[in-house]
Amino acid sequence: MSKFEDFAKLHVAGDPLVLFNVWDAGSAAAVAKSGPKAIATGSASVAMANGFGDGQKVPMDFAIANAARVVEAVDLPVTVDFEGGYAVEPVAAGRNVARLVETGAIGCNLEDQIVGTDELYSIADQAARIAAVREAVGSDFFINARTDIFLKAATDTHDEALVDAAIERARAYADAGASGFFVPMLGNLKLLERMCTHSPLPVNFMTFPGCPSNADVAAVGAARISHGPFPYMALMDKLREMAREALA
Amino acid sequence: MASKYETFAALHVPGDPVILYNIWDVGSALAVVAAGAKALATGSHPVADANGWPDGQQVPLDFAFANAKRIVDAVDLPLTVDFEGAYSVDPAEGGANVARLKETGAVGCNFEDQVIGGEGVHPLDLQVKRISTIREAVGGDFYINARTDLFLKTQTYDDALVDQVVERGKAFADAGASGFFVPRLADPKQIERVVREVPLPLNVIAFPGAPDKKIWADAGVARISHGPFPHRALMAKLTEMAPGAIS
Repeated sequence: MSKFEDFAKLHVAGDPLVLFNVWDAGSAAAVAKSGPKAIATGSASVAMANGFGDGQKVPMDFAIANAARVVEAVDLPVTVDFEGGYAVEPVAAGRNVARLVETGAIGCNLEDQIVGTDELYSIADQAARIAAVREAVGSDFFINARTDIFLKAATDTHDEALVDAAIERARAYADAGASGFFVPMLGNLKLLERMCTHSPLPVNFMTFPGCPSNADVAAVGAARISHGPFPYMALMDKLREMAREALA
Repeated sequence: MASKYETFAALHVPGDPVILYNIWDVGSALAVVAAGAKALATGSHPVADANGWPDGQQVPLDFAFANAKRIVDAVDLPLTVDFEGAYSVDPAEGGANVARLKETGAVGCNFEDQVIGGEGVHPLDLQVKRISTIREAVGGDFYINARTDLFLKTQTYDDALVDQVVERGKAFADAGASGFFVPRLADPKQIERVVREVPLPLNVIAFPGAPDKKIWADAGVARISHGPFPHRALMAKLTEMAPGAIS
């Protein structure tokens, strides 16, 4: 079985793959000790740890070298948060993701916000980007297509119509060759259930402070739960506490 | 107004030590700044661990410089960098490397006498030559924290060992070092002797189970750093926090 198939098989609706996001080789090794099935980076954490802004402000060469160090540090499959593929244009994005594949990463997140703006790519444009990435990386790579439709709308405006718009994106992304569908900030269980029921792709839920429990998210059909920047932020709070005690 | 080098040097007060809670990247630097630190210090071991390299100058030199520069750019506090053996046994090459480190904006560095990748410590005359060449290369203001690894390389912490430590400390001072760093020196009586006989501010490392900082301060320590322990403790926390396969 290919490593892609091994990793893809971990995405089971109702029994999700849990990913506690890392940012460097050391954090990857620490999380690996807890016994997870896979490792995922978070782009915001990588940016914060190294003094860059989020939104592709981490230089691509740094992001790729960091991914290679993470892959080297653990025996688990590694998926990398690669934001928008560091390009607008589909072929360029494909070329960039192909470089990421060379690190040994098994997959990546690829988002549909136009980085640096509040806009999303049109469905057709994002589908073309995903198709170009798929063509560039071959079949042995998990493209976790992320929609930022929920991230860009205030939580209290999330409704069935927005979910239906996301489902339309999920279908188009699936047809373009995506492997998974990632819906950060969709936190309403009823809406998440609708999303999971109608998505042709395994759905990735991202935890956030105050979000539903992993058990509840699993029960409505999520196939993957990731943690975004929150492990990093919680750990830096811890470091601040430890330092304050030492400096006292 | 005092230069950043003077500000940093002035923090080294025997009896009222500056506490350095060692960091490894920008994020850890910001957390330690927020905790109220007066200065920042990287640890070479945590930088290596955080990025998947072994310690002992396995972190590529360019990465070490770039990492130092990112930290300097992110904070207003003075930064001192653990620069191991300056990435060269050769005095001139070591001096050139520390001069490059100074260009990142760091105010100082640790410089150690152990034979990296080998046994024991360098002969004293060679180490003195290395320190004086670095001093020449960086000018008068950069804080060279000259470290001896005599304590790290043995299990027998007796008076004869302290004799050797004192001999090194005095020679390092003559060669132009700004501070004297003796990892694993912990006994207050031995500390008092080193403080009395070596004309440099003394730096020791806090470790799990070490004497209270007050005891070290009273013995005359001027700087207490934490080496690899903050990173190790934090990574243990991360393993605890991670939900594992299922939560």
